[in-house]
Amino acid sequence: MKTVLLLVLKDIRRFLNDRRGVLLTFVLPLILIIIFGNIFSGGNETRGKSSLILVNESNSIVAKLFESKLDSSKSLRSVKFYTSENGKDQIKFDEETAKEWVRTGKISAAVIMPKDFFEDTSKALKFRFYYDPKNEIESYVIQGGIQQTIFTSISKIIPILLQRRITARLGIDSSSLFLNSIGNIMGKYFGEKPENYLKNLTKVDSASLFSTSKDSSKENNFMSGVVNFDSEQLVGKRITNPGLTRSVGGWSMMFLLFSLTGAASSIFEEKRDGTLKRLLCMPITRTQILWGKYIYTIMLGMIQLLVLFVFSWALFNVDIFSNFGNLIIVIFSSAAAAVAFGMLITSFAKTYSQANSIATLLILVMSSIGGSWFPTSILPSWMQVLSKGTLTYWSVEAFLQVLWRQASFAGIALNVCILLSIAILINSYAIIRFNRGNI
Amino acid sequence: MLSISHIIKNFENVNALKNVSLNIQNGEFFGLIGPNGAGKSTLMNIIVGFLEADSGKVSIDGEVISSKNIQLRKKIGYVPQEISLYLELSAYQNLRLFGEFYNLTSKKLEEKIDSVLELVQLTDRRKDAVKDFSGGMKRRLNLAASLLHDPEIVLCDEPTVGVDPQSRNAIFEMLSELNKSGKTIVYTTHYMEEAERLCSRLAIIDNGDVIAQGTLIELINLLNQRDTIKIQKTSATLNKLPLLREMGQVTEHDFYYEIIPEDGYGQNSKIFSKLEENGIPNAFVQLSRATLEDVFLNMTGRSLRD
Repeated sequence: MKTVLLLVLKDIRRFLNDRRGVLLTFVLPLILIIIFGNIFSGGNETRGKSSLILVNESNSIVAKLFESKLDSSKSLRSVKFYTSENGKDQIKFDEETAKEWVRTGKISAAVIMPKDFFEDTSKALKFRFYYDPKNEIESYVIQGGIQQTIFTSISKIIPILLQRRITARLGIDSSSLFLNSIGNIMGKYFGEKPENYLKNLTKVDSASLFSTSKDSSKENNFMSGVVNFDSEQLVGKRITNPGLTRSVGGWSMMFLLFSLTGAASSIFEEKRDGTLKRLLCMPITRTQILWGKYIYTIMLGMIQLLVLFVFSWALFNVDIFSNFGNLIIVIFSSAAAAVAFGMLITSFAKTYSQANSIATLLILVMSSIGGSWFPTSILPSWMQVLSKGTLTYWSVEAFLQVLWRQASFAGIALNVCILLSIAILINSYAIIRFNRGNI
Repeated sequence: MLSISHIIKNFENVNALKNVSLNIQNGEFFGLIGPNGAGKSTLMNIIVGFLEADSGKVSIDGEVISSKNIQLRKKIGYVPQEISLYLELSAYQNLRLFGEFYNLTSKKLEEKIDSVLELVQLTDRRKDAVKDFSGGMKRRLNLAASLLHDPEIVLCDEPTVGVDPQSRNAIFEMLSELNKSGKTIVYTTHYMEEAERLCSRLAIIDNGDVIAQGTLIELINLLNQRDTIKIQKTSATLNKLPLLREMGQVTEHDFYYEIIPEDGYGQNSKIFSKLEENGIPNAFVQLSRATLEDVFLNMTGRSLRD
């Protein structure tokens, strides 16, 4: 055991003397975590919002309602002015300028509410939307944001729009008759006075449109009660940084695979430099050398992951301590599996550079289909099946269970078992190969 | 005694060692000489336990070296052909690291580190990273790292490859000192001059076979003719090759011919007279004592460096 510990110490000393190695193991992943942390959390008010030009040429209250809704949108940032060429004046966008900006790629989309947005009583609301689909995801976000704004406001103006459509179709006299009939029917079957329903059907004033209070009267709630959508977040309510909490495990696992495969295949360096031979000529067995390398590499991986998680906690409020025991278990089993992967590559490759090339290819494939970069749920179904064959999948899922779902040990037991089985099987194979002198 | 008995080792299609047997007495400075690829390093690797022989055994004072008897390795200090050091660590860190595997107490190890650094004259560079050392310094430290546990036998596998003359002489002196202090030294080289200078007994190995062994005198005595004659290449000698071949075995070098005289020319004066008669003055002729190179040439028909 003492010999194995000395071998571990040897590798630690070598690692600490290798500044570039330390930098690549800790600083580079930290920089990337900081970048991703800022993408997923924190920052200023405009963070994560997609910009679009908003041109409101209408003077109607309804247009103002939409404008205010878009201004307060969580996903959209409406841009209404641009700076003149002399840099001094703020000029309001008009439709042509907005189109030019979209055409020239200065902005991805523009929404126009023309003069007759609401004023043209013969038609429904008029929007004009211009976009550049160079970034498909951003286009979806913007269109989704606009649709959300429309539908969250629509219940307040449905009666008005209904009245307009009826008037346009039946004429003013018949429509009055029609609406009166509706008012009477409503009054008869839903209670209250018919004139109250009629008043709500025709009312377009700022007080009612911009009101945020919940009016309990049956007349006002009648349309809003058409659709009742109750939503409740069941998981991750307490999580202050959902984006990074979901992604930190995946990215960390990828860095872990890179650094530990490099550390495991450093046995080739020792062979090339003759130091392995010197060790083997000492009172040291091959198995001890391999165990020394294995323990050192697992320790390195665990420290790397802990440093990354602690930084995620310190800088971006990722909660790692409320389920810390299980997090350590997942970190250990992930590191053990990652080292085994490195050992497997080492046992097959003939040289250090060959090991590196094979490892890079496999790590990138495993990271992409195993859930390090994005959720596996967006993959085609056959790829989702394939992803379960990667150790990345089981590790990333285990991190999600621990950090996102705050799962107990029972919730991660399967993942941990699979990761440790991978580690034991591959490591046993590597020991056999190494003892035969194949490494 | 280091006893090598009937060692056979094959690598796929190559018979690296063919039934090699040697006995090296305690306190000997034993040279294992032969051209590159002769099997010297393979034999060294088997002695230190890095390679397993296909058959045969190596023993030290009767104890057989095997992968199961790793404690026996403590009796051996191995100086590999490569610079087997961690270049990013300092000289001291390397020695400390390798020394710790021999279960020495911390105090004893510190004393040994001090003494081996002094022996290889690197005390003042102990804190410097090995990567900043010259080739000769690395070679000396490579030797020092093998002496920390005070081994009975020091195996040196071509320890002077790529070393400047000054460092080479320093290494020779260190090894001689170690030998005088009672250590057995086994030294492989393809430089005959080194073997002649250092070794009390030698074995010549070629194509995996030990083709001769003994002291330097014993090996040279294997030659019928112990002297060689060197004739400078000039316009006067260029067309005299057939004549030279009548006198003995001729090897052509860059600037001279070398003749190992035939029995009939046992008297060197006869050769000198015959050369002079054929227009080659004595100024172009030099009498040389036979060397290991000549022994090898005589036994294999090839030069050591072919």
